[in-house]
Order: sequence, then C-alpha cells, then structure tokens
Amino acid sequence: MVSKEEIIKIAKLSNLFLDENVMEEITEEMAKIVEFADAINTIVCDEDIEFDNINQIENAFNEDEVVESYSSDEVLRNREGGENGYFLVRRRV
Amino acid sequence: MSYELVVGLETHVELSTNTKIFCQCTTEFGGEPNSHCCPICLGMPGTLPKLNKKVVEYAVKAGLATNCKIRNLSKMDRKNYVYPDLPKAYQVTQFDKPICEDGYITLSSGKSIRINRIHIEEDAGKLIHERGDTYIDYNRGGVPLVEIVTDPDIRTVDEAVEYIEQLRLIMKYIGVSDVKMQEGSLRCDVNISVRKKGEEKFGTRTEIKNMNSVNFIAKAIAYEFERQVDILESGGEIHQETRRYDSDLNITESMRSKEDAEDYRYFREPDLVNIYVSEEEIKKYKAELPQLPHEKLNIFINEYGLPKDDAELLIKYKKVAEYYEEASKNLKNKKLASNYILGQIYRKFPTDSEKEEFNISIPPKYLNDLIQLVESRKINSSMASNALEKMLDSGKAVTEFISEKDMEGIDENTLRELCIKAVNENQKAVESYLGGKEKAFKSIIGYIMRETKGKADPIKATEIIKEIIGKI
Repeated sequence: MVSKEEIIKIAKLSNLFLDENVMEEITEEMAKIVEFADAINTIVCDEDIEFDNINQIENAFNEDEVVESYSSDEVLRNREGGENGYFLVRRRV
Repeated sequence: MSYELVVGLETHVELSTNTKIFCQCTTEFGGEPNSHCCPICLGMPGTLPKLNKKVVEYAVKAGLATNCKIRNLSKMDRKNYVYPDLPKAYQVTQFDKPICEDGYITLSSGKSIRINRIHIEEDAGKLIHERGDTYIDYNRGGVPLVEIVTDPDIRTVDEAVEYIEQLRLIMKYIGVSDVKMQEGSLRCDVNISVRKKGEEKFGTRTEIKNMNSVNFIAKAIAYEFERQVDILESGGEIHQETRRYDSDLNITESMRSKEDAEDYRYFREPDLVNIYVSEEEIKKYKAELPQLPHEKLNIFINEYGLPKDDAELLIKYKKVAEYYEEASKNLKNKKLASNYILGQIYRKFPTDSEKEEFNISIPPKYLNDLIQLVESRKINSSMASNALEKMLDSGKAVTEFISEKDMEGIDENTLRELCIKAVNENQKAVESYLGGKEKAFKSIIGYIMRETKGKADPIKATEIIKEIIGKI
C-alpha cells in the first residue's frame, strides 16, 4: 500500500508541486505501479538461467577521445540555490 | 597477552585516461566547478552510458602487473546508495564478476600479499560541506577507477607501507595512473582487526576510509591497533564500524556503525553490455607492459652491480630509473653513473615531487659522455664534477666546458718533473707519509692538482710520487 502522506513526502523531496485535487488519483496510480513491481516476487524460476550474457552483446566502447563538455551555464541552468558554479543540496532529512 | 595486527587494504587508483569512464568529458584535475560535465556523468534520466575502451585496457594491465587472473567475460553492476556525490543514486561498479582476481604482490621479505580482486568503477563527485548545506562539484564524477582489494594478509605497519609503496610504483611504471596521492589519485580504505597471537579466527574489524597519505595510514593503523587491544584487554568488545582518522590529533574516531549490514541491492547494470577480453588481447597487453620496478631492481643489483640501497633509490622514481639506464649504457663501471645521479644530480632535486618529475636539463647521453671521459682517464673526477655542475646549470654538453687540450692532460715527462718538484717542496709531508701517516700523501697530490689546475691524472701522479719516494 502507498499512503497519501508518502506521496506528499516524495513530492516534497522531488521538488514537485502536486495539486490537492489530483492527490487521490496519483496515490492510486502509484499503488498500482508498486503492486506491479511486486509481481516479480511471485516468479518461480525452475531453470538456471544465465542472465549475464542474456542479450549476447559485448564490447560497445567509447574511444578515449575528449569531446567538449556542456557549458557550466547549461549544466547549472535548472539548479536551485548554489553559488560559484556549485550545485547546492540543502539539508532536508 | 600479545596481540597480532590483521590488515586488509582496498586501494582506489584513478586511471589516467583522457576521458571519463562512461562519457567523453575530460578527466583533467581541477577546472571550474561543474565545467567537465555532461548529461551522462550528471546522471540525467534517459542518457546511455558507454564504457571507455582504455579503462578495460588499463584495468587488465593493472591485473597482469599484480599477477592476477584476467576474466574474459565480465560485466558492470549498480551499487545503490543515496548520497549527493552520486547524482544517479547508484555507483556503476563490478560486483560478482570483477575483471581481475587472485593476484599478489611480493614484499622485500619474500612474503606475498594476496590480491583478492581488481574491479572497475566510477568515481563520485566532490562535496563541500558548509553551514549545514552541501555544495557539489561533479567534475570528478565518472572519472575511472580501479579498486584493488587485498586479502587480510598484512601483519605489521611496515608491511602495509611497503605494499602501498610497491603498488603505487607498479601503477606508475605501467602508466595506468599518475598515482598522485595529494590529488587523490590513490586512496586507501584500511580494514583493521586484532587477534591473540596463535589464534586463527579473525577479530571484528573496523574500517578507516579515504586515506591519501602513506604516513597517515601508518599512524592510523598503529593507533587503531593500540585502541583495539586496549578495549579487549579491559574486557570490552570491538564494534564493526567505519572510522575516520584525525591527523591533527592522531586518533581515529567513529563515523558510523555497520551493525545494520549495508544493503547496496547490487544488480546488473542494464544500460551497459558485457565486457569481453580475448586471450589475444590479454597477450597483447602483457607484451606492452614495461619492466616492472622489482624486475628493474634485480637487474640493477645483479647485472649492474649496484648496492641494494642505491638501486632502491633509483627505481623509486620511474623517470630517474629510465634516465640511469640510458646514462649507464656501455659503461664498464655502471656504479659511476649511479653515484653522479644519487649525489651531485639529486642535490638539484631535493624534494620527492621534484625527483618524481625529474626535469633534468641534460639528456642522459651527456652524462654518459662525461663518464666515458672519466673511465678512459681523459679527465679526472674533480674536473668531471666541475663540468657536470656547469652542464646541469646550462643544459650543455661536456665538450662546451672541457677542451681537447684539457683532455690531453699532462704528458708523462712534464708530470714526472712536477712530481719531483712536489716532493722537494713538500719534504715535511713526505717525511710524515714515510713515518706512516697515510693522510700526508694527499697534500702532495693536492699540490700537483693545484699546479696543473686539476688537469693532472691523480692516479698516475700517485704512481710516480711513490716511485720517487721509494728512491729517496
């Protein structure tokens, strides 16, 4: 189960604004998502499946050649607070 | 009751690739905060990381140089933890299939310290804590590391120090890292426990994180050993925990308890494909490895005839060792080159970092030329020393300071006449020498060197004078 309080807390931590009138709907949707993810616990696997090489793809590499990074302005555009080029994390919990 | 120290080390070595592990941002140290970043190393949703090929090569080379087995097929995993130094809330590392396993490093005592594993992972960003808030610079985030983990085989502080120094030197020699501890390119987590001598079961361990000074590591281990023994001797018990070393007070202090075992919920990194290293590639990387420090040490001692202490001082700095090899080529007495480097030349490079950089003004060939002149007795050692000083100051070759005429020295007849004069004018010294005072002989030779402005061959002069004195 997911409670309304948990949704409010997650929204606060994620800096998301949630309108009171969508709260119930979102709580229900989130509960369904968690329930769906929980389904994985019901899987019974008799075979010893080798997951490590399941997609049979190997060695997709970058060459060790520098590509220009994003500009600091772009990197920091959506930050909240912070100064002198740093990101800021405020104490929340 | 006497106790035994048990130490295991986890060493993080920053790889000196040009680019980060999963994107192509530069790994250059420093820079304006957050100026070496892109959506991949900032952990933005929807980005797709790709492994840097060089990281695999360097990790395999690190493994080969430390006698590890290389795993042909390995993969990356996610280690989940929530802390702002990792914007994704997980670190991409290797969990159950590290790229290298089962190696060892042999200490000078002959004892081997087993290396359990070497795995590839990404470094985290840098946090600055101020007034309860935290400021983040992600330039270091995504810089490639290898973590080299030993078994708990280390039993003394000296063994720990030698292991780290050897490991550091190996990584430097094979060129996979600049291993600058002051810049954090080599950092150690130290696991320490104690047990009564003779006991087989290990005691509860504590871990001191993120140490980047060999000196502090030695002090922290010594302190922690005493602390744990004191607790056990007074009937207490050791708690498994992470501790921090305070270098100002020379103590360790508790950071956090490990009683609730950390659950990192490791799982396979689904955004990255498997890493396959073929036997051919392993063979190729092995062939590319240079001579390792202990191999060089053996050659310097056994083939070049250097004393162990001298050889150790030379191999301690890769550039110096390579310079020495060139400078001593074709010399009959290779120790002569080592004497000049460890004496007159080292005086120009007083600090560790200066020796590490070894920005010497003359190429090794120039030193070799100078020593060849000494060996062929065309110039004597004091002329050589004067010339070397000028060469080091100017970066010029020996021929700039010693002419053909100087090299001709003094012909034998002239030298003989001078020796007769020296004996006549230094009768007191001659008598003292004949009376048994060996030192007095030096003043006669000194006279000849003064008269010839250092051009005479002191060995030849000694022979002639002894002949003359014998005749008296």
